[in-house]
Amino acid sequence: MSEGTLQRVEGDVAVATRGELGHSMESAPGLLPGELRPHPSPFKYVVIAVVLCIVTAIEIGTSYLEGDIPNGLLIFLLLAMALFKFVGVAGWYMHLQTDKPLFRRFFILGCVAAVILYTIVLATLSVFAA
Amino acid sequence: MATIEQTAEVGGPPSQGTPGHDPHATSTGVTNTKLAIWLFLSSDCLFFGAFIASYLLYRGRDVSGPGPRKLFDIPFTSATSFILLMSSLTMVLALAAIQRGDHRRVRIWILATALLGATFIGGQVFEFTEFSREGLHVSTNLFGSSFYLLTGFHGAHVTIGIIWLLSLWGMSTRGRLPTKKAESVELAGLYWHFVDVVWIVIFTVIYLIPQPH
Amino acid sequence: MTTVTDEVAVVKVHEPIIVLRRPKSTTGVWSWFTTVDHKKIGIMYGAAALIFFLVGGIEALLIRLQLFQANGSVLTASQYNELFTMHGTTMVFLVGMPMAVGFGNYFVPLMIGARDVAFPRINAFGFWVVCAGAIFLYSSFIPGVNGVPNGGWFGYTPLTSTPIDAGFLPGHGPDFWSVGIILLGIGSTTSAINFIVTILNMRAPGMTLMRMPVFVWMMLVVAFLTVFAMPIITVALIMVFTDRNFGTLFFSPAAGGDPLLYQHLFWLFGHPEVYILILPGMGIVSETLPVFSRKPLFGYAVVVFSGIAIGFLGWGVWAHHMFATGLGPVAVSAFGLSTMLIAIPTGVKIFNWLGTVWKGAVRLTTAMLFSLGFIAMFTIGGLSGVLHSIVPSDTQQTDTYFVVAHFHYVLFGGLMLAVFSGMYYWLPKITGRMLNERLGKINFWTMLIGFNVTFFPMHLLGLYGMPRRTYRYDTGLGWEGINQVVSVGAFLIALSTLVFLSNVIVSLVMKRGEVAGDDPWDARTLEWSISSPPPEYNFAEVPEVTNRDEFWHHKYTEDDEGHLVPIPSGGAYGSTDADKHDGHGIHLPSPSIYPLVMAFGLLPIAYAAVYQSWIPLVIGVLILLFGMYAWGIEPSTEEA
Repeated sequence: MSEGTLQRVEGDVAVATRGELGHSMESAPGLLPGELRPHPSPFKYVVIAVVLCIVTAIEIGTSYLEGDIPNGLLIFLLLAMALFKFVGVAGWYMHLQTDKPLFRRFFILGCVAAVILYTIVLATLSVFAA
Repeated sequence: MATIEQTAEVGGPPSQGTPGHDPHATSTGVTNTKLAIWLFLSSDCLFFGAFIASYLLYRGRDVSGPGPRKLFDIPFTSATSFILLMSSLTMVLALAAIQRGDHRRVRIWILATALLGATFIGGQVFEFTEFSREGLHVSTNLFGSSFYLLTGFHGAHVTIGIIWLLSLWGMSTRGRLPTKKAESVELAGLYWHFVDVVWIVIFTVIYLIPQPH
Repeated sequence: MTTVTDEVAVVKVHEPIIVLRRPKSTTGVWSWFTTVDHKKIGIMYGAAALIFFLVGGIEALLIRLQLFQANGSVLTASQYNELFTMHGTTMVFLVGMPMAVGFGNYFVPLMIGARDVAFPRINAFGFWVVCAGAIFLYSSFIPGVNGVPNGGWFGYTPLTSTPIDAGFLPGHGPDFWSVGIILLGIGSTTSAINFIVTILNMRAPGMTLMRMPVFVWMMLVVAFLTVFAMPIITVALIMVFTDRNFGTLFFSPAAGGDPLLYQHLFWLFGHPEVYILILPGMGIVSETLPVFSRKPLFGYAVVVFSGIAIGFLGWGVWAHHMFATGLGPVAVSAFGLSTMLIAIPTGVKIFNWLGTVWKGAVRLTTAMLFSLGFIAMFTIGGLSGVLHSIVPSDTQQTDTYFVVAHFHYVLFGGLMLAVFSGMYYWLPKITGRMLNERLGKINFWTMLIGFNVTFFPMHLLGLYGMPRRTYRYDTGLGWEGINQVVSVGAFLIALSTLVFLSNVIVSLVMKRGEVAGDDPWDARTLEWSISSPPPEYNFAEVPEVTNRDEFWHHKYTEDDEGHLVPIPSGGAYGSTDADKHDGHGIHLPSPSIYPLVMAFGLLPIAYAAVYQSWIPLVIGVLILLFGMYAWGIEPSTEEA
């Protein structure tokens, strides 16, 4: 049983010989390591950017409706649009939608933990009290 | 923090005793560095969340001093927010460029991102000086304390991002950012998009949501 | 099977930029400053933790001297405040956490069959940051600095947050404290990320998550807790610092601020923190009990899931530290219930440990005694904890010595006894020599007795109304006699510690202990399959894992009646190969000076913060940037 010398040479041919738990970085043809599906194309990125701009414009416009619509509804709409943009950037620009689920799970864990914990803190300090 | 471990990753047990074996294979199939940066970003959610929560707690509780109604210039901040949003586009285009080996474009898009980011910071600096001239300092009231610290730390994150991007740009001009190191750009991109995403939250929650009277 | 290709790919290799000459040596004193080897880093963490255990212990003894008599005059009130603050801060941040990270650093890669952690240089950086943080905190003791932290290890506002010139806590105590902990937090967070990536990504082939040793599982849970908890306290500390130094109003009631915000942020960190402290200890005894009972851990899956459950539930109980702050009946009821709930997975683990020992072929080695002691003492601490979950009861007990008794039972009787167990169990692997068993037993019994004499009476003191954090008490309250017993017990603990230290010095440093060999305990996990101490590259060949307790199954199989049958060719993995194998062909990450440089760039920045001075700030930032860029350019492995 010989010990192969490990040379980090550019263009090393990687051959996956391991059984379980030896995920090679060359997963499937056309996919980069860590990807589950192909990432969006540059054209799609631009399209997403345009959508995000439009939503931002709508958001800003909506904020000027203060006083014309109930505050609760206004806040709901603004938060919904912010969430839409959040998911747009995180899902597509950060590739959470096309990468392996592991990243998505950790990030959602962090976001959810932050929202729940801080909401409880604010509730305890009577921020939501009438 | 910029390009740590990006030249040769210790991904997985380096030697399997089998010659020619993939030296970068990991138990999950994702690289160490990408996993690490996602963990860091998840951690940063708690950091910004605490400042945002404190801002929300102290909304409308000022005893004196100027408040957001008086000071906020929504059109101005909308413009800077657009700029930061567009910088996310240029960032992801930089990543796409390096993934297909177009190094000239990589440099263009990275520089564009850094410039847009710097413009955003310029806008922040302008906003802070304006508010300061109108009498808002960290010690004026709760709004001052919570607003400046939240947006200040956000701005610090953007600034670090700009330095990171300029470092990558510098490496690329010297030929030290080959296609096989595309992940370096990806990692910087993830950080950059995160900073943008935090701003999306801040812009809505602090600027747009109706201010208390 | 693949074949080696002899082709040399034509490569455009850039000349590496040499900023500073790369250290190459892995032996000698200097190599400790440049090492990126997880084993050396683990040893340094453990040594630092032990040193600070002594320092924190001396702080405790001074406290006990002051409280020996009513109206004691050994210490002034001011000195007393500094000592109990530093005792707590030291024990939590400079003993408990580094000790766990030390054991974790050394053994997690070994237990999962890896050659190092995912980011060896960041690993070194984490250690040097902890070092810098410790130096920073303790430099406050230098005469004339007037900056010893004195607001309690928890630093409640507005005591700590009123501006420095407003008189509540003059001097720089809270500044050294807040900045020091932020600095330590940087080290902890980077280590935690390193552990998560290592455990998830670098397991040997066949090592599924459910085949990992429980100690590894606990380190994984702890790492997640750290990653999510440290940012919260960082924000709280930043706010304290800016309130104090820049006039922000976060905790200023006059301006509408709420000091309770601080308590929420602090305990949102603080409660997960105590699980960060105890879970590694639970992991250690989950390793020792099976070995010394010659039985697999009872209910492995349940123990693992209980650990994960504690990790989750631990986020939902923080306000039980605030029951007396006027939260209102809804909040206190909710948190009281959640606190009771967390007793369930904890209790489940205790039953599993008992089930492991039950009907096992028990060997009462020192390590085993400490582990059994852990179960008993931690149970007592857990019971007093459940008493705290009953809100009306806690309203009486909070801020009294009853609480002091509780957390010392779980942290000393729990964590520290587990640590001592780990020392006796694992130091032979680390050093190649056994600790003396006779001295060990004296160590154990004096520790157990001393500990109980010190902390059990505190339950009574608390119920008799003696408050915490007060530097003296009057005569006629019925407290003096008990306090004297407590103080005597503390000195007995000190004596026991001296016994431990002599054991270490005689057996390990002077090398009079028995040679350990690869597997002195006939143990179950992979670290025992290699030499003691392990070679630099850990495993000659990365093991293929097919079982939980892989090494045990490598050594033994069972016959039809369930009796153990040794496998003739079993024993240390390729131990004969290891003799012939000199690590040739295995390339390990090379040493580096930049982690140290970066960590010590942070130090002047910390001083700059406290004194608001530009010069150390600029110097620190320059060193930091230099270290960062030089590190970024340096490849992780130099070709030899």
